[in-house]
Amino acid sequence: MMTLFIKSGGVLVITAVLGIFFFILFQIWPLFMPAQVSELKTVSLPNHSFSLLGVDEWGARPFLVEPDGRMLTVDYETGAVSEVPIDFGEPLQIVSAALNKREQMIIVGTADGRFAIVAPGYESEESDGRQVVTIHPSAEKVTPIGLPGVPILDIAYGDSGSSKLVVALQANGNNRQVSAAIFERKRSLMGQGKEEAVGVFDLTSLIPGRASKVLVPGTGDSVIVVTEDGKVSYLLLEDEEFKLIQTFAPFEDIPGAHIQAATFIFGDVSICFASDSGANRVFSLYYPKGGAERFFGKTHDFPSLGTMPSFLISTLRNKAFLLGGGSELSLRYSTTESIRWEGKMPYNVVNAAISGKYHRLVVLDSTNKLHFFKIDDPHADSSLKALFSKIWYEGAPEPKWEWQSTGGSDDFEPKFSLVPLIFGTFKGTFYAMLFALPIALLAALYTSQFLDPRFRSIVKPTMEIMASLPSVVLGFLGAIYIAPIIEKEIPSFILLAVGLPLVAAITGFFWSRLPIRYRKLIHPGWEWIVFVPLLLVSSWIFFQLGSVLEAIAFVVTDPATGQKTADFGAWWTATTGNSFDQRNSVVVGFMMGFAIIPIIFTIADDALSNIPAQLITASMACGASRWQTAVRVVLPTASPGIFSAIMIGLGRAVGETMIVVMATGNTPITEWNIFSGMRTLSANIAVELPEAPHHSTLYRTLFLGALVLFVFTFVFNTFAEILRHRLRERFKTI
Amino acid sequence: MPAVLSEPVRSHFPTTVNTSTAGRPDFISIQNFSFFYGAKQALFDISLDIPERQVTAFIGPSGCGKSTLLRNLNRMNELIDGISHSGDIIIHDHSIYDPLIEVISLRKRVGMVFQKSNPFPKSIYENVVYPLRVAGQNAKNVLDETVERSLKGAALWDEAKDRLHESALSLSGGQMQRLCIARAIANRPEILLMDEPCSALDPIATVKVEELIQELKSEFTIVIVTHNMQQATRCSDKTAFFYLGKLIEFDVTSKIFSNPAQKQTEDYITGRFG
Repeated sequence: MMTLFIKSGGVLVITAVLGIFFFILFQIWPLFMPAQVSELKTVSLPNHSFSLLGVDEWGARPFLVEPDGRMLTVDYETGAVSEVPIDFGEPLQIVSAALNKREQMIIVGTADGRFAIVAPGYESEESDGRQVVTIHPSAEKVTPIGLPGVPILDIAYGDSGSSKLVVALQANGNNRQVSAAIFERKRSLMGQGKEEAVGVFDLTSLIPGRASKVLVPGTGDSVIVVTEDGKVSYLLLEDEEFKLIQTFAPFEDIPGAHIQAATFIFGDVSICFASDSGANRVFSLYYPKGGAERFFGKTHDFPSLGTMPSFLISTLRNKAFLLGGGSELSLRYSTTESIRWEGKMPYNVVNAAISGKYHRLVVLDSTNKLHFFKIDDPHADSSLKALFSKIWYEGAPEPKWEWQSTGGSDDFEPKFSLVPLIFGTFKGTFYAMLFALPIALLAALYTSQFLDPRFRSIVKPTMEIMASLPSVVLGFLGAIYIAPIIEKEIPSFILLAVGLPLVAAITGFFWSRLPIRYRKLIHPGWEWIVFVPLLLVSSWIFFQLGSVLEAIAFVVTDPATGQKTADFGAWWTATTGNSFDQRNSVVVGFMMGFAIIPIIFTIADDALSNIPAQLITASMACGASRWQTAVRVVLPTASPGIFSAIMIGLGRAVGETMIVVMATGNTPITEWNIFSGMRTLSANIAVELPEAPHHSTLYRTLFLGALVLFVFTFVFNTFAEILRHRLRERFKTI
Repeated sequence: MPAVLSEPVRSHFPTTVNTSTAGRPDFISIQNFSFFYGAKQALFDISLDIPERQVTAFIGPSGCGKSTLLRNLNRMNELIDGISHSGDIIIHDHSIYDPLIEVISLRKRVGMVFQKSNPFPKSIYENVVYPLRVAGQNAKNVLDETVERSLKGAALWDEAKDRLHESALSLSGGQMQRLCIARAIANRPEILLMDEPCSALDPIATVKVEELIQELKSEFTIVIVTHNMQQATRCSDKTAFFYLGKLIEFDVTSKIFSNPAQKQTEDYITGRFG
């Protein structure tokens, strides 16, 4: 009966642990899933030609712009195709068109050298429980640009809010002309402002080559011109003047490659290029190390599409883009360099658009059929690579591990590398063990082997009470009280760390050299009566000497004023180049040490005390001193128990949360610098959880952090158990 | 570990130089020795001369104080808290309680074998050389030589020479006890104390240890505590009978067992109590 009870209890425990494990697995599984894309519906369009395909943010009403200035729209729900005229005030022949993604606007270029900006005018309303999206396009004034009367081959514009930059590409005889115009909106008291051209530029002379395509970022502060020889020029608008900053060839290593398609990735910092052979690369603007100006550099290289691309579009939600050509569709994610989804269609794809919510895709095929797809990709930015490898984020000069879950702007890209957190966990544990291990083990050796049993019976329960101190108290104390002291008194602590063991060793040396007539005055086990006051006095002296050491060794000279100051923090930063923070690893090592010293001490003391007395008497009878007995017989024999003590302490340090949350500063960095902080996996969960929306990537990544922690403890403990068994086998006694 | 900590010895117990072959009859001289565990008196005014290079057996019923006396000869009782004594124990003209000598140096001269074999969880080799290592001797040739001499001395060499680096715990019970004897004689002590060395052994192992004792007495002064009166007759030269903490009778072994002077001795050896 009893065994059944115990058995079922054990089974329940295993089930519970497995249940937690599977729950966590279930939560993190979607992070590693590719995108799911499935076709919903196909609508046949009239046999027209179209210059542009766009879609609203709900993916419910795509539109196509026709050369005669009409707009063809499709209602997803009913499949009805309808024509909506755009009122330009005059008949226009549209020869080029582009989308301004940020503003959700259309710009069209005409055959007679003019352009117009069109707002699609989407409206969404609920009717009979379903969403109905209608479109009411309205056009701004048709404005001339560049060479009068010459067809506009490509057009783009950006809007900084106060001004618009429009760039047009025209043929000029055998050459290509690139013209730019800046329009400012003048606000008048009488309602809507009027737009006025404040600058007109001919950029042709700046561009080395025959231009074939122009791009303008949403901010409208620069122009990207693609030339026919496969080069890209980056022109920056500075002080109302364009300057050529950089010309680069994205596919320079591929002989004869042309740039077939190019688009800004969401955020307008990176440009995605596709060559005529299907090669696909992303270039980002960043400050090269030590540079003062931003240049484009290759940050991501994707596998080739394998065929000539016909379109390349980016999304409005994340860094994903869709590359299509022939019958191939490939949904890719710029930052993580991953292919989210690939499909071979039974038709040739011509153009596509992705809804603003990144949940629907419309694809136009060569037979003028419009295909609706559903995209299910909630964690597009997540992959094994994003979580554990170095990632070249936009704006960074090199790939790195980074954790930054939230930012200030909409186009901020969350960075979910677990590596800094894993590193932080190890760093915190390392410094805590560095402080705690020697103290705890030596203390246990002393209390169990040397201290008079009467004092041992006081010391041990006291230490056990210390183990029950809530870690939040330790963390609070560390952050509010200890950290400022340590920050100010680092030289004193250095002296203490070096001096106290030295004083102890020297005292031990002279004590053992003392003639026996004096040593006999102190009963064995009472030596601390001499020792403790000595250590206290020397601690006080070392602490006072700290400022002296600082004044001698840690002096920095201010390069500006030539003034010398004795400050360890400044000296550390100036000498090693590493930062010096108040919440640093010393504080963590110290406070976490307090949390784990009692645990290691108690278990190690038990292990050392339980050594069979016969072994100690045997050693003594052989003429060994107490120290020799302790080191040569007791310590090796107790090693399995001591090993357990260390592993339990280690487990506590790895999982410790409150102390690190409060005392580390929670900076997710990957450096061993002892005077900087860290962010551990456990602290990360505590800090981020309140900001993690249910089932978001962050939410699942936190679960992954928990799993990694779980795996660490599991691996540690299994390894420790195996080692402990070996030790126990080796040092078993009869 | 710094050498200074492993070698705290300042005042050594003087070493005897063996000159005569006969040996001194009062090599160990116990003089009016009383011993207390806290308030409880365990030994009452014992005076006894133990002869050099002979086997002296302490016999008596349980709790008679024979082990306590034995453990005082190398001051092993001092590992216990709250003990005290009066009287003196003189080994070769030097008091073992001389306040200016290190107890460790005494124990180096007085080896001890315990009732229950207590090898360290180390190899056979390391067990034997342990007394040398704690004395700071680490020269390999000296250690190798000591292992061979001691194991031969303890009649274990033939059984153990091919497995010197195996764990001592892989030996049988009798072998382990002989290993402990080898360890006790490794540092060439002058005196070998044996506290019921055969009580945990089977008869065959016991015979081997007893034969060993006979061989060892040419070199060591042996004091053996035993419950087994046959053993005392077989291997000792002199026997002391203790009862309730007092020395009742001390004489040549054959005399004690054939013609005891005291009635209590006779009652004990004939098995009427004990």
